[in-house]
Amino acid sequence: MTPTLTQYLVISLLQIVVVMGFVMTLVPLLTFAERKVIGYVQVRLGATRVAGGLWGAQRGRTHQSRTFTGGLNGFMWWLGRWPVISIFRGLPMFIADALKLLTKEDIVPIEADKAVFVLSPALAMVAAFTVFAAIGFAPGALFYFPAKFPYLGGLPFYGFLTDLNVGLLFILGVASVGVYGIVLGAWASNSKYPLLGGLRSAAQIVSYEVPLTLSLLVPVVLTGSLNFNEMSTRMATDIPVNGLVGIGRTLLMFVGFFVYTTCGFAETNRTPFDLAEAENELVAGFHTEYSGMKFSFFFLSEYASMITVSALASAFFLGGHYLLPFGLQPTWNHFFQNSPSAFLAWTCTPSILWFLLKIFFLLFVFLWVRATVPRYRYDQLMDVGWKFLIPYTLVMFVIAALLRYAA
Amino acid sequence: MFKTEEMEINLGPQHPSTHGVLRVKLHLDGETITRCTPMIGYLHRGVEKICENKTFFQGQVWTDRTDYVASVSNNLGWAEGVEKLFGITVPRRAHYIRTMLTELNRITSHLLWLGTHALDIGAMTVFLYAFREREEILSIFEAFCGARLTTTAFRIGGLREDLPPGLEKLVRAFQARFLDCIDEYETLLTENRIWKKRTIGVALLNAEDAIALGVTGPVLRAAGSNYDIRKAFPYASYAEMDFEVATQTAADTYARYLVRLEEMRQAHRIINQCLDGLPEGPVMAKLPKVLKSEVNEVYHAIEAPKGELGYYFVGEKGGQNPYRMHIRAPSFINLQALSKMVVGRLLADVIAAIGTLDVVLGEVDR
Repeated sequence: MTPTLTQYLVISLLQIVVVMGFVMTLVPLLTFAERKVIGYVQVRLGATRVAGGLWGAQRGRTHQSRTFTGGLNGFMWWLGRWPVISIFRGLPMFIADALKLLTKEDIVPIEADKAVFVLSPALAMVAAFTVFAAIGFAPGALFYFPAKFPYLGGLPFYGFLTDLNVGLLFILGVASVGVYGIVLGAWASNSKYPLLGGLRSAAQIVSYEVPLTLSLLVPVVLTGSLNFNEMSTRMATDIPVNGLVGIGRTLLMFVGFFVYTTCGFAETNRTPFDLAEAENELVAGFHTEYSGMKFSFFFLSEYASMITVSALASAFFLGGHYLLPFGLQPTWNHFFQNSPSAFLAWTCTPSILWFLLKIFFLLFVFLWVRATVPRYRYDQLMDVGWKFLIPYTLVMFVIAALLRYAA
Repeated sequence: MFKTEEMEINLGPQHPSTHGVLRVKLHLDGETITRCTPMIGYLHRGVEKICENKTFFQGQVWTDRTDYVASVSNNLGWAEGVEKLFGITVPRRAHYIRTMLTELNRITSHLLWLGTHALDIGAMTVFLYAFREREEILSIFEAFCGARLTTTAFRIGGLREDLPPGLEKLVRAFQARFLDCIDEYETLLTENRIWKKRTIGVALLNAEDAIALGVTGPVLRAAGSNYDIRKAFPYASYAEMDFEVATQTAADTYARYLVRLEEMRQAHRIINQCLDGLPEGPVMAKLPKVLKSEVNEVYHAIEAPKGELGYYFVGEKGGQNPYRMHIRAPSFINLQALSKMVVGRLLADVIAAIGTLDVVLGEVDR
């Protein structure tokens, strides 16, 4: 049944609320996860409590339970007694973080170019979040409204906002606008360290957009589509079960995954490519002069881009909504599609669950890498981009074209 | 309409990786350094002048506050310098304990260097791993003398007291696991491609330049020279110890990293020998209540973690305090090599160079 225009608008609005709500919750949770993951890697606990009272100063241990956060901390202390859930101690930290950033003094330097200085964090933020319009979180309809549901009865509720036929192009285009936020923000600060950060960022993004896009051309060539959902599904399933072409595709996707993720790390300014904000060299890089909510816009956009990169990598290389990565799903289906076990048969069907699990795993990898490796130097970063990644992606592109021709 | 000019930028005195209040004035052409001037003096307290107004016993307290991450080494230099000035013979047991604590201190200093140097280059985790072990040694110091950082560990003529009961057990427990800990740091760094890229060939300083600039310690030994005062002019009980001087020939940041790691292993060896061969006997020489000097001068150098740490004393007749005291601080002299290391390199290399020189500003400024 086709929805009327108003029904369509209402459902779209609901979808926007759900998807944006999901992303907006995931981003702060990711900052909390970062504290905890890096904490555990570094033999410490990370955040375990929210210190201080929201209402007035804390007045000694006995009075703690009388303040809101004091009571909260008591609860978290209690949580710490249990084996696994104790890692969720300190969870309210992300609320405290957000409150802190919201209430901080918002400084605009006198010498700064005020209009651009104010505009650029918004640019970064808008670009980073608009991308989610084209990302298909669920393979199709998430659920159908029950027939008796007022006004919307029987209509599908999709797990994505738009089923854009140039989805990938849209994602790449909008994501690259975010760089202007960083470069303009750095330039508008009219300060030396941000300037260096901005220069680094500009050079880095120019170098890494190329291999990033080239590595995404591999799935484009293999599937012959730019639609996010179609690409994701066809990358996972539209593969010959056996034969040289199938093996070639699996290998190509395997290599492509690492190349794309490497570029993605550079694109999101994460370690080991966090040169633009290298705190040990440039104090805070491009956002040195930013404070309060303007800073947190940059911060949030970085984390949102991490989710974007993870989503793209999961969709195009790790099998998207299917269980197995690298195009191994058809082989799995071949054996288990008609399995008597309901569970095994279920693993052959697409589900939002696999997609989210893959995203979460890749986000964990982002944090894991941050805790493990040092930072590249500016010129070495350029070397990796131009001398290693671009030739690699070009070769992959040619192989993809050959595979497409053979199939 | 357009013109190009060099950018002058201040690295510090408030900067995350200048290890204190070092200010480096840099001239940048893009990101390439064209001129580099370290500006020091932000932490100058006049330690040498203060020590000239304190008695020989009191002055040692101030040596804690020069290189505050290697205070035990500083204490040893002071105590032995004064003992040389007065011709005091220290009991053998005291020498052994001093050697052991000084080597433990070398480990803490190198661990702090390892952690901060790796952090500067972007590897966060090594920092906390290194501090975990450093913490354990600081507890050993606390058990020995009640202080973790400003130890004033030794007395002129020996030690104030013998080892407290249980300290040997603490040290042995630390010794038992420390070699594995070094291996753990190495798994994160030694074969790490990015670490190697950031350190190999960076901040080169060949032996000739190093000697001309007076640079000593691991920085000199990484350039191929095997000058180590513990071997060249043995003091404390180093003459009785069996250890090797760690050297490398590459003279870059990576070589210095390897040298310092090897020095930690050698320190571990020396501590074991001290524990096993600890002689019985008194720990304090017989001393007069008040030390009154003759007209005399003495220079005593020891191998501090950062290089040659020299104490120069001039005594005057009947004086209870030094007439003149000077500290040859390795950090101060090694810092001279900074501009030689970084001119023509990139901004990120300055950070690596400051880290690899292992300067402590308390000692640079004194």
